Amino acid sequence: MNEEIDEYDIYHQDFTTVSEWEVFIARMEEILNEWRLSKPKIPKHQQFTKKWIGKSEEISFQGLKFKLSYHVLEPLVGVDNVEETDDKFLHNELQNGIWDATSHFMDEDDGSPFPVSSWFGLKRYLMMCPEFPLVDGSVIKIVMSSINIAFANVDCGVPMFVKIREHWQQTYIGFYEDNEYKSSFDTIHLKRISNQCSHLSGLVSLFKSKIGSPVALDAVVVSTKFSYELKDSEAFIWKKTTHSNEFLSIDGFDVKKLIELPFGCEKNPISSVLLNAIWPRFRESAIVDSSTFSDIDPIMAPLWTITLKMRDNINCQLSETIGKVMDLLDNNNLLMDTLGLSRSLGLVNPLQKITEAPITISKLVKAAMGHGSTVSEFKGPIADDLLMPLLYYIFPDAVEDDTFNYPERLEVEFKSDASEAKLCNYVKTSPEGGLVWRLSVTAARLHDAGGLPYLAHLWYEFTQELQYRWEHRILVPGIAEGVPNARTCLLHQKLQLLNCCIKRALEGTGSFAGNSSEDEFYDCSEEEGGEDQPPWDRPVGRLQRLENATLKNGTPLYVPCTQDPAPKTEDQLEEDAELMVRLGDDAKASELRARMMSASLLSDMEAFKAANPGAELCDFVQWYSPRDWLPDDGGTLGARMLLPGNPWLETWSVARPVPATRQRRLFDETREAQQVLHFLRSRTVSAVAELLLPAILRAGASKAHEEGVTGGSTTVGGVDKRRMFEIAAREIYEAEKEACRSLCVRAVFGDSVEGTPLDVAGRSRILSAAGGALPAPTRKEFTLRVKDSVAPQVMRAALATDMTIIGAFTERIVCL
Amino acid sequence: MAGGGDPKWQKDAADQNFDYMFKLLIIGNSSVGKTSFLFRYADDSFTSAFVSTVGIDFKVKTVFRHDKRVKLQIWDTAGQERYRTITTAYYRGAMGFILMYDITNEESFNSVQDWVTQIKTYSWDNAQVILVGNKCDMEEERVVSQERGRQLAEQLGVEFYETSAKENINVKAVFERLVDIICDKMSESLDSEPAMLAGGARGQRLTEQPQGNSSPNCNC
Repeated sequence: MNEEIDEYDIYHQDFTTVSEWEVFIARMEEILNEWRLSKPKIPKHQQFTKKWIGKSEEISFQGLKFKLSYHVLEPLVGVDNVEETDDKFLHNELQNGIWDATSHFMDEDDGSPFPVSSWFGLKRYLMMCPEFPLVDGSVIKIVMSSINIAFANVDCGVPMFVKIREHWQQTYIGFYEDNEYKSSFDTIHLKRISNQCSHLSGLVSLFKSKIGSPVALDAVVVSTKFSYELKDSEAFIWKKTTHSNEFLSIDGFDVKKLIELPFGCEKNPISSVLLNAIWPRFRESAIVDSSTFSDIDPIMAPLWTITLKMRDNINCQLSETIGKVMDLLDNNNLLMDTLGLSRSLGLVNPLQKITEAPITISKLVKAAMGHGSTVSEFKGPIADDLLMPLLYYIFPDAVEDDTFNYPERLEVEFKSDASEAKLCNYVKTSPEGGLVWRLSVTAARLHDAGGLPYLAHLWYEFTQELQYRWEHRILVPGIAEGVPNARTCLLHQKLQLLNCCIKRALEGTGSFAGNSSEDEFYDCSEEEGGEDQPPWDRPVGRLQRLENATLKNGTPLYVPCTQDPAPKTEDQLEEDAELMVRLGDDAKASELRARMMSASLLSDMEAFKAANPGAELCDFVQWYSPRDWLPDDGGTLGARMLLPGNPWLETWSVARPVPATRQRRLFDETREAQQVLHFLRSRTVSAVAELLLPAILRAGASKAHEEGVTGGSTTVGGVDKRRMFEIAAREIYEAEKEACRSLCVRAVFGDSVEGTPLDVAGRSRILSAAGGALPAPTRKEFTLRVKDSVAPQVMRAALATDMTIIGAFTERIVCL
Repeated sequence: MAGGGDPKWQKDAADQNFDYMFKLLIIGNSSVGKTSFLFRYADDSFTSAFVSTVGIDFKVKTVFRHDKRVKLQIWDTAGQERYRTITTAYYRGAMGFILMYDITNEESFNSVQDWVTQIKTYSWDNAQVILVGNKCDMEEERVVSQERGRQLAEQLGVEFYETSAKENINVKAVFERLVDIICDKMSESLDSEPAMLAGGARGQRLTEQPQGNSSPNCNC
C-alpha cells in the first residue's frame, strides 16, 4: 500500500497515454476490488439458502457496453464460516459443485439470472454480459484476454463468464484459476445437430478427446434424460365448467344458472405434458447408442417424471366476469345516460325536484296488475321474459312462489368470527345470499352477457322498485336489520338506511303522528301523574322511573322517551367528520362543534323537562351524566357543569318541556329516503361498479372456496377502495388460475405427487393416454462425467432441434 | 378525513405539511379525564375542570417519527351512555384507540371490558389499542391498583400505562407508543402483501403483470 502511494507521488502519470484496453482492464480490477472478490477476501460460507443476490456495474470498451455482474447464493445466517486462508477451500467448493451438479439436468432452473450456476453447480459467479450480442471472434478474444488479466491481477476468487453470440443462444465461456489449476467452462451452441454428436457414443468420444488424458481413464459415467411431449393432453380428463350465458335464452331460462358464477377456464389450461424418461446413472458401456444402433428404450427407463406446461394466459371465467365490471371503474358517465334516462329522471337538471321521477310504478306491480295496464312504460334492452324472473329473484317477496325467499335472519359475517382464512375478507361484506349479494351477482352476469345497457336496465328497474317500496312503505327484503352497519358495504348501508326510513314512516302512520296527543298520556300513571298539577304542567313522555332516584324537589325522577340519533351511512359520517375537521381545532371551532352536536342534547333535555316538570339541570345530569352529579343537598352539579357559558347550561336554559313525540325530528325519514333514492339513481357508471364490486368480489371469493381453493389473504389496509378492488380481483384471479392448475395436476398425476417419479400405475396410465407408444423424443440430454487424476471432468449435451454442449474441464497449470 | 370510512394511511400528496395522518380516538367513561389528557398532549395545558364534552371533538398534533411527519387527528369523545351511538359511528375510521379509565373510580375500570367490546364491534379490525389508567397523581384516592390495570391489559392483549394529565406523567409516552404500534402494523401489512400492493395501475387488465411499486412505504 505504502509503495503504491509512493509511486504515485513520484511519477506524475499521464493517463492520456493509457490505451482504452488498459482502462478497460483497470476498470474491471477496480470493480472486483470494490466488491472484495479477491481469493483471500471472499467469505467462506458453507451453507446457503436458495436465494440469489447480486450486484452489477456498467463498463464500456471500444464502444461496446457491458454489464459486469456478480451473483451469489445468499449464505445461511447463523452458520459459522470456515476460516480458511488458502485456495483449497474455493477450489474444492468449485470442483464439488461441478460434480454434484451432474445429478441434475441442464433444464432445471436454480433461480439465478444465468443458467451457468445450474449447469456447473456454482455458488457464485461473475458475468460479463454485453448489451449487444458479441459475435466477432477477435472482439471476443480481446475481451477474454482482458478478463484474464484483470482476474489474475486481483487474484479473483470467483469464476468469471462472458456471454457471447446471440443472446438467445445462451452461450457462455468462462474460467477459473488458482496457482495450481485452471478450469475452463465452454458452451457450444449449434443450430443443427451434428451427426457425430447426435448419439451417446459420439459424445463419449468427443468427451474423451477433450480431456486428452495420456493415461487410460476410468469408465465414463452417464446420465440421460429423454423428453417426450404428449400433445394430445385432451386425453386427460378436464372438467369443463359450463360457461353460461344460457340463462339468456328465453325458453331455457333458469335463475339457478344465473346465480352460479362461472369458475375455471373454458379451454384446457395444459399446453403440453412433458414426459421425462430418466436413466440417472450408468457406465458408458452399459447402453449402446450409436449412429447405427440404439438400445435406449424409454419404457425401460428407471424413472419417469412429468413436467406440466400450462398456457401462459389462462382465461378464467370468473376473473373475466369480474374484470369486465372492474373496467367500468373508468367510466364516469351517468349510468342512466346509457338508457337515455338522465333527463327524464331529473338527473341532468339539478333544479328539477328529485321527487318528480316520471315513472314511479314498479314493474313488479304492473306485472301483478296484469297486462291491461295503460301506464306508459320504459322499454329497456332486457326483454320482460328475462327481466321479470330476475326481479323476482332479487325481490322474492313480490311473488307468491317462495323458491327464492331470503332466509329469515341475515347475518353479517364478522371477520373475527371466521377462524379460517378466506380470500378477499378485507372487502366489506353484506349478508351472504342477501339482496345486495343477489343484485350484484345478477348485475355482473348481465353485464357479462349483454354489456352496459343490460346492467343499466337492471339498475333502473332496481331503483324503480325501491322508489315504489318507499312510497308504499314496503320494506326492502334481504337486508340486515337495524341501522346502517359500517362493516357492510356502502350499498347495503344505503338500503339499511332506506329500510330505517320505511320503518319510521310506518310507525308515523300509527302512534307517532304529531297531532294525536291523547295516547302520549298513557304511560303517565294516575297516582304519580299528579292530578293536583295544572294541565300545562302535567308530565308527558315518560319511559320509566330511574331506579329510586328523585328530583331535587323530592319527586321521582323519570327517564323520558327520547329520539334516537339519526342513523347514518359511512359516506354521510365521513361528510360530517370532514365538516367538523374543516372548522379547525381551536377553541372557537370546538365551541361551534359542540353547538352542532347539541341538537340531540337539546332534544333529550326537552324530553326530560316534559317528563319531569319542575326539574333542574342537576336532575337532568343525575340521569344523563351521573358523575357530574353530587348527592349533597338533594343534588348539586359537579364542578365542570358549573363552568360559565358551558353548552350544558346554555342548552338547558333554552330547552322547553317538549316530549320527543312533538319535537322536531332529528331524523327526517322523507328527506333521507329521497336522498338514498336519488343517490342510487344518479350514480355514474364507475360509482355503480364501486357499489356492486364488494359483493361481486366476496361472491367470487366464496365461489373459489366452493371450488376447493384454500387459504386466504392477510391484512390489506390503508389503501383506497379502488386499489383494494384491484388487489382482491388479482387475488381471485390467482386463486382461479391455481385451481385450474391443480385440477390438471390431479388429472395427470392421479395419486402421484408432482415432481416425484411416477408409480407403476401412473406410468401405465400415462402410457395408455399417449396411445400405448411414445412419440419421438423432443429433447435428449446426456451428462458425461469422469474423475481423472486432476479433477472431475464434465460434459453435457442437450439435443432438441438445436444442440447445446457445455463442458467444465480442469487442468493442472504447468509451469516450465 | 375519514369519519365512518375505513382508515387510509397513504400519503396525502396534496398536503405538503405531513407524510402520514393517523386518526386516533380517546374513549372511556365520563369524567375519567379524556379531554384533559388530550389538552395536556396537544397544548401542554391543564385545567382542573373542562366542560363535559358534547358528542365528539378533536385536536390535531403533528409529530416526527423516524423522519416522517405524522399528523395526528385525535378525536375526543363524550363518555356518557347516551352518546354511545353518536361516538361509535366514528370508530370505523380510527387506527388507534386510547381506552381510558380513572384509577380513583372503580366503575370506570369495570367498564373497560364494555369499551373493548364496542371497539371490536365498531372499529376497523386492525385498530390498535392502549389501556390507560389516568389520574395516577391522586394516589390517596386510588381504588384500582396498578397491578389490576396491568393484569387486565395483559388479558386484553393490549399495552398499559398509568398516566396523569395533571402532573404530565406518561401522556406523551402513550401517544408515542400508539404511533409506533400503528407504524409497525402498517409496515407489517405493507410487507405481507408487497406483490399485491404493487399490483399495477388502475384499470389494468387482470391478466397483465404488475408493474412497479407505486405505493409509498412507510419507514416507520
